[in-house]
Amino acid sequence: MTTPRQRATAEFVLDHLVWFMLAVVLIIFSAFVPNFFQIGIFANIVEQSTFVGVMAIGLAILIIAGHMDLSVESVAALTAMITGILFCSRGIGLGLTLTPEWLVLPVSLLIALAIGAVIGVLNGFFVIRLKMNAFIVTLASFIWVRGLVVAISGGRSAQDLAPSLRVIGIFQILYVPLIAWIAIGCFAAFSFIMTRTPFGRHITLIGGNAMAAFRAGIKVDRLMFIAFAMAGAIAGLAGWLLAIRTSGATANLGIGMLFHAFAAVVIGGVSLKGGVGKLPGVYAGVLLLSSINTAINLMGLPAHYTQVIQGLLVLAAVLLDTLKLQIRQRFA
Amino acid sequence: MNRIRRLLTASIALAAVGLVSPVYAQSKGKIYYMVPTLLDEFQTESVSSLTKFLADVGYEVVTLNADNKTDLQQSQMNDTILLKPSAIVLAAVDFNALVPSIEKARAAGIPVIEFDRQIKTTMSDFTSVAGTVEIGYVAAGEAQRLLKEKNGSVKGKILQVLGDPSDPYTLDIQQGFEEKMKEFPDATIISLPALQWEASNAGTIVSDQIVANPDIDLIFLHAAHLSVAAVAALEAKGKKPGDVMLMSSNGAPVGLDLIRKGWLNVEVEQPLYAQAAAVAMFADKVINKQEIKPGKYTVLGLESTVTMETWGPNIKIPGAAITKANVDEARFWGNLKAPADKITPVE
Repeated sequence: MTTPRQRATAEFVLDHLVWFMLAVVLIIFSAFVPNFFQIGIFANIVEQSTFVGVMAIGLAILIIAGHMDLSVESVAALTAMITGILFCSRGIGLGLTLTPEWLVLPVSLLIALAIGAVIGVLNGFFVIRLKMNAFIVTLASFIWVRGLVVAISGGRSAQDLAPSLRVIGIFQILYVPLIAWIAIGCFAAFSFIMTRTPFGRHITLIGGNAMAAFRAGIKVDRLMFIAFAMAGAIAGLAGWLLAIRTSGATANLGIGMLFHAFAAVVIGGVSLKGGVGKLPGVYAGVLLLSSINTAINLMGLPAHYTQVIQGLLVLAAVLLDTLKLQIRQRFA
Repeated sequence: MNRIRRLLTASIALAAVGLVSPVYAQSKGKIYYMVPTLLDEFQTESVSSLTKFLADVGYEVVTLNADNKTDLQQSQMNDTILLKPSAIVLAAVDFNALVPSIEKARAAGIPVIEFDRQIKTTMSDFTSVAGTVEIGYVAAGEAQRLLKEKNGSVKGKILQVLGDPSDPYTLDIQQGFEEKMKEFPDATIISLPALQWEASNAGTIVSDQIVANPDIDLIFLHAAHLSVAAVAALEAKGKKPGDVMLMSSNGAPVGLDLIRKGWLNVEVEQPLYAQAAAVAMFADKVINKQEIKPGKYTVLGLESTVTMETWGPNIKIPGAAITKANVDEARFWGNLKAPADKITPVE
């Protein structure tokens, strides 16, 4: 027989398991990996979590809604390349300037968000209106959007991004660059949206049971359209940040990030069945992966280990998800 | 409905136009170029230079991109063999995995020319390379010079950022570099790979290492596009040009720009234009199965050596170290000034 207190404790631990995992991993690395325990490294972990993290927000929202978006990585690459082409001054960059100079910042951001949203709407159209499978539709987008990146760049790169944009990658608050704060801000904002607004609650309901949500009067199709557009726009933002960090774009920029984003989402406790998941958990998942990556860098281990560890972590996360359900039932 | 039909017809017509290859009135035949990827500037420029130089000597080039996938390149080789082209120019994704495909092509009577990536485990009809191991040697020589200038002798800490660890190209450069640096035990090398040659992975490595090992003297990146992200990472850590010495390889335009801006000390060039020109110069001999004589040849002004190796005739064109002193020379492909003069076949 369990007491309510024991039950509450178990629930708390289960809900925040990924944060506990992160804490344990950080303690172990700090103790055993040379040069790991220092502010600069922790700041690096937060900074390096930016792109996969932002990308994972849109992906998580769609998975919570019962769908998925495999195109986020390519969308990010496309917006990075377009930002690079427009606002870089070398390589294939056109070196576009605006007066006053700071206008480059909102204009480039709007362009990136708009491009992402357009691709998101396109995905949404095929999935919602034409009732096509989201996996296939977004897989197709993953391929054609990356192809578009190569086509518009001709395989060449753009570099030397406008200083008014680069400042976001350089300027630091509490040792952490502004781009990382933008990611943290995004997680905070979308966590609020998902938990405290009707939109977020409805999205979660749709992911749990779309038919029940429809019968309850929720405009399922409309909300799903918004979710797809949102995921696209957020991926666009990730690409914009990526271009800022690398001061330009190459045709293979961001390659492989989709799998990291997916891993983070799953490790963060988002159920692939839909209807379950919280964005702070996803952020913890991203931080966890980034910490492991950094530790492997510092230990000088071959990079393959990162992939092996990530794969095992995803497997462990899915296993934990199943176990969590059983433990909850036992405490119920 | 009519409008949709018209649109469909127009689309099909457009697709057909796209699929039909241009007709070359005086073409001696088609040569298929198997490019490993189009995601970096060296490869995209190799397509245009091979297309131009082989057209100079009368061949039409069809390019197939393997997207860095070995299995895809193997399939492309199998398909191309059935088309019976005049020759295949291969820049292999994987040096070993493509061996059976090379043997199959040669058995079918199709000459195979290795471009940029040397395959030593089977016979090819011709090989045109700068030598990836040799690029490592040149880089090691430059690293020794830079460390000596900074520290008085060849000592210090080097961060070596490799490309994808599954790519033999980067492993060869690493082998050459470390082989020559072994003589200097006071020079410590930390080697880490940027998975999938992705720039932000290189940026991550640099930003972690510069915090953990602030005494790094020199960073050697295996491709110029990786150095852009490395520079951005250094900039974010408050570094200025010259604070950390930088070196990269392949000679891409981005690398040359970084030299001009003072960030990059050395770029080790792969002589792309000369490598491509050599293929065109010897194409007739290879296709007509004529003897290729060993000796010295001048390829776009570079003295190159043809030797008969166990894997067939091999032309080696020397790579060059690009510094601030010579960065603007037109011979470097990174300046994207492909030679306008027509290539003439070797007699």
